[in-house]
Amino acid sequence: MQTRWIRISLLLLLLVVMVLAAGVGAMKIPVPEVLRILAYKAGIPVHPLPDVAMMNVFWELRLPRVLRAVMIGGGLAIAGASLQGLFRNPLADPMLIGISSGASLAAVLVIVLYSFLPSFLLNWLPRYYLLNVVTFAGACACSLLVFRLSTTGNRTAVASLLLAGLAITALCNAFIGLITYTANDEELRNITFWSLGSLGGASWRITGALAPFIILPVIVLPVLSKSLNAYSLGETEAHYLGVNVRRLKIGILGLSTLAVGAAVASAGMIGFVGLVVPHILRSVTGTDHRQLLFNSAVLGAVLLTLADTVGRTIIAPAELPIGIVTALIGTPVFITLLLKQRKKLGGLETA
Amino acid sequence: MIRAGNITYLAGKQKILHDVSCFVEQGKVTVLLGSNGAGKSTLLKILAGALSPASGTLAWKGKPYSAISVAAFARERAVLTQHYGVSMPFRCSEIVLMGRYPHFTGNPSKQDLQIVEEAMRELQVDVFADRYFQSLSGGEQQRVQMARVLAQLWPAHENDTEKFMLLDEPVSSMDCLYQQKSLQTARRMAARGFAVLVVLHDLNLAAQYADEVILLRKGRLIASGDCKTVLQASLIREAYDYEVEVVYHDDFHFPLIVPAAHKKQTFLLQTKTA
Repeated sequence: MQTRWIRISLLLLLLVVMVLAAGVGAMKIPVPEVLRILAYKAGIPVHPLPDVAMMNVFWELRLPRVLRAVMIGGGLAIAGASLQGLFRNPLADPMLIGISSGASLAAVLVIVLYSFLPSFLLNWLPRYYLLNVVTFAGACACSLLVFRLSTTGNRTAVASLLLAGLAITALCNAFIGLITYTANDEELRNITFWSLGSLGGASWRITGALAPFIILPVIVLPVLSKSLNAYSLGETEAHYLGVNVRRLKIGILGLSTLAVGAAVASAGMIGFVGLVVPHILRSVTGTDHRQLLFNSAVLGAVLLTLADTVGRTIIAPAELPIGIVTALIGTPVFITLLLKQRKKLGGLETA
Repeated sequence: MIRAGNITYLAGKQKILHDVSCFVEQGKVTVLLGSNGAGKSTLLKILAGALSPASGTLAWKGKPYSAISVAAFARERAVLTQHYGVSMPFRCSEIVLMGRYPHFTGNPSKQDLQIVEEAMRELQVDVFADRYFQSLSGGEQQRVQMARVLAQLWPAHENDTEKFMLLDEPVSSMDCLYQQKSLQTARRMAARGFAVLVVLHDLNLAAQYADEVILLRKGRLIASGDCKTVLQASLIREAYDYEVEVVYHDDFHFPLIVPAAHKKQTFLLQTKTA
């Protein structure tokens, strides 16, 4: 079947991109060497033994970073695709509808208030998990607020959805501005870099902290894809098809927010992945969420890994923040899509 | 059979339905009639299980609605609503396949796909299978949605016909040929053993296809029963404030319902008095 081949080739593409990305950088690791290191780590005897320096760079720096890019890209893209299904609008994006700004307000609060937090809390909750938990709470609060504001009865109005998202984003930005105003130099630098997005400083610890927040949504969201398809007929219609609408909404919102909150907490603001990836796939495989959700996760992982590779090599030894790279690539793609689909979207508004 | 007893429904403080009791039998087409705002769609939604009445009883095959799960009901009851737009670009075959969603987890079986094809052939929308739903005209979209409803209830085997099909103004956007064809399909399904409830505005279509008629006025039941006993000039006047003449013709089994205002003598009478 054609859909199966698309899925398999996307997964193969991801593997190839991961191996290539892990090899590129200040120390070049050729592909055969990458494969030999992987074999060695898996316990398969290799002869001769892999180069120790290459092995350390690969295992301690490159691989955790690549895996982190894969997870964040996949999480953002699958959350974007799911939210677009839930809001019944192909333009919904965690950034546009305020979830990300809620997460960043929470993250900025943590950065600034970190030194004031009682020590028992910090002993109980390590910093990366604390950032994860608090940004998750911020993302959750904002997504709920936007969804509530844009829903009257059982209809979610497209225009008020975007307006509510804009309003919440503006409000969060105002608070971020207020906090930034009172921050000291070091906090200011942290906030700035955080808001540009970065996958730098990756370690197994950071990657591991991220993993559960991404793996859960990537596994569970595709289970909801049939219900999400039925939901596009309308809320009552989905009910008639046996969908528990309330559970669907809470599931999609909760899991998407989990992925976006964790991604934003871990790497800062990375825009457009959640918006552009499902768009590209819809033009290839159609809207059927049974394919769209998982494929989005894979393609999102591919694109973010590529963007990160570009970001860390193009002005080496310095790094270009990944948020800048995705925005530089994503914005033109987005505008092209808008121009191409202007007629189609006009039709959707009235539908 | 669906039994609804003493249904009252409130929207805020306003009473939409007052103490309505009715039933929809298997093997028959029951048509729900009434003027705009009489509560037809509300009653249909209540019978479909989407709205809960403020008071009253509801049972399908003797089982109260509250004891039937959303998923189990979806395998036996399907609804064509007035809202048939789709917010995302889906292909027509994907839309009709959604009718099979209550019947499979994961991937559709061969039988599911076969049923989708049969349902699309039944409403002659198989030619649109690969077209995007949004590219179709209103009437075509309505037929695709009706094919989805059919697919949801399509008997998996000979005796799998204990089903309940509700159609809310199913032919409002269709041309006269497909109005007839779609209602014939509803008839055939009733003949196989389905309970079929249809909301219609056209009294003549109702006369042609109804076995039973439920007539509502301002949220109250004013008549229900056999088509010919309900479709009488006096009851129609009461329901719609509209004068009609019910004419029988020897060549047809059903009455023709024509506006009395068009009658020649009445017209002459009016001009005389003027």
